[in-house]
Amino acid sequence: MTAGAKSEEGPGGVLGWVENRLHLAPFIGALLHVRIPANAKTFYLGGITLFLFGIQVVTGTLLALYYSPTPEAAYESVLSITSDVQFGWLIRSVHHWAANLMLLFLVLHLLRIFVQAAYKYPREITWIVGGGLLLITIGFGFTGYLLPWDQRAYWATVVGTEIAGDVPVIGSSLLLLLRGGAEVSEATLARFFGIHVLVLPLLLGGLVALHLLFVHQQGLANPSRAEARPGRVTAPQPPDKLKPFFPDYILDEVIAWYAVLAGLVILASLFPAGLEPKADPLVTPEHIKPEWYFLAVYQLLKLVPETVGVVAPVALVMIIVLLPLLDRNEEIRPRRRPIALGLALVLLVAMAVLTYFGGRV
Amino acid sequence: MARIEDSGGTATPQLQVGTPGAGGLGRRRFVRYLLGFSIVSSLAMIVTPIVGFLIPTRTASGTEGGRVLAGTLDALPVGSGAVVAVGAKPAVVVNTTAGIKAYSAICTHLGCIVAWDGPANTIVCPCHDGRFNPTTGAVVSGPPPAPLTPLTTAVEGNDIYIVTG
Repeated sequence: MTAGAKSEEGPGGVLGWVENRLHLAPFIGALLHVRIPANAKTFYLGGITLFLFGIQVVTGTLLALYYSPTPEAAYESVLSITSDVQFGWLIRSVHHWAANLMLLFLVLHLLRIFVQAAYKYPREITWIVGGGLLLITIGFGFTGYLLPWDQRAYWATVVGTEIAGDVPVIGSSLLLLLRGGAEVSEATLARFFGIHVLVLPLLLGGLVALHLLFVHQQGLANPSRAEARPGRVTAPQPPDKLKPFFPDYILDEVIAWYAVLAGLVILASLFPAGLEPKADPLVTPEHIKPEWYFLAVYQLLKLVPETVGVVAPVALVMIIVLLPLLDRNEEIRPRRRPIALGLALVLLVAMAVLTYFGGRV
Repeated sequence: MARIEDSGGTATPQLQVGTPGAGGLGRRRFVRYLLGFSIVSSLAMIVTPIVGFLIPTRTASGTEGGRVLAGTLDALPVGSGAVVAVGAKPAVVVNTTAGIKAYSAICTHLGCIVAWDGPANTIVCPCHDGRFNPTTGAVVSGPPPAPLTPLTTAVEGNDIYIVTG
């Protein structure tokens, strides 16, 4: 075979051997060789969230090798992971911090899409699937929180499930379903563990695949021009300036991942995940608080009647998830959407204030 | 990139480092090495804690040092024996004419748990009928390649202890 003939046929070696059999090159080419608007500003937030999910899969799988999901052994197994197993403290702390950062970057990604109005035609379904990803990620936080079986985990779950019990009509059934019994017990731990390591990862993996498929099909949104709708007569516009997704965008994305990984290791090293005394169902510790992302709801429940405090956040989440169906304004420029952005700002400030006061002892 | 300048003003062409035939390390190849080094060191950084995490700790299945109550002289008269748990591991304790003896109950052949055979006055492995001397732990018959591992015992009053660690 001549050198020229070889280059026309594709790569040699192992890659060539595989390619000759599976003919994957067109498929991978179609995935990678797409062009995106040159002025697209994603700030890599969605990709970072995906990267953090990957870290959770790896560290979570490792932790599951040592973790025992029973009330007798859970606490000791987490203690052993933290103090006996090599790099155990690091793996556990990275899992802890990546969970927090994943939710943070998911919310930042959501805000970026909102401000750039990328949830509008034709990307409504992508947003709704993204809303599902948000709910699943919160579910991860809620179920994972119980697993160390320390005082904070136990009582935060008692309060959290109690709140779910206040949902009108289905509350008591929901409470029973979540706890697997009347109290937070062995059944609850087994249930939360199963949901955390099996149900939610499968759901999230499936929805992420859908989300990425939609993004691939529709391409990234151009933040300065609304998509042309079928059947509408619009003034002819110059074509978008485009840039290659691979390698240009991917390279920047990987650099962002490196920066996040570095930040993650620094956070895990300086502020490792702690462990309180073992759960005692007979003693509620003072000043028990949930994770930061539940603090706003926690504070709201202090200020308003229980039903309102439960219904309001649920309604808010539903509004966020179904936003593309509710917001029919076709304008995408932020300055021309004062009501939507104003409401979002009020909501953010309210949540920040509630979180601040919720976090104060 | 450094280049070899033409100093004489003659017609000698400029030679870029990395031009084929210049003998230096090409820019493209240098960047490729750098990229390879980055990828390998990144992988090493990620894989090291994962591999370290997967290696079980030495104390994971071991027992901490101390004494474990293995039985009483009343329950274990001369000529009798019993298998008892010492932490997570089994031990066989026998009251012989030469005193209290204890051994790891894990057979040295294929890891089955041995038992006390009173009528035959031997420690017996039920898997392949390996037999051990209760006084010395030595192999009497059967396939075990080595004697049972002896354990330290202590008798205080009526209590028999196995000392570990």
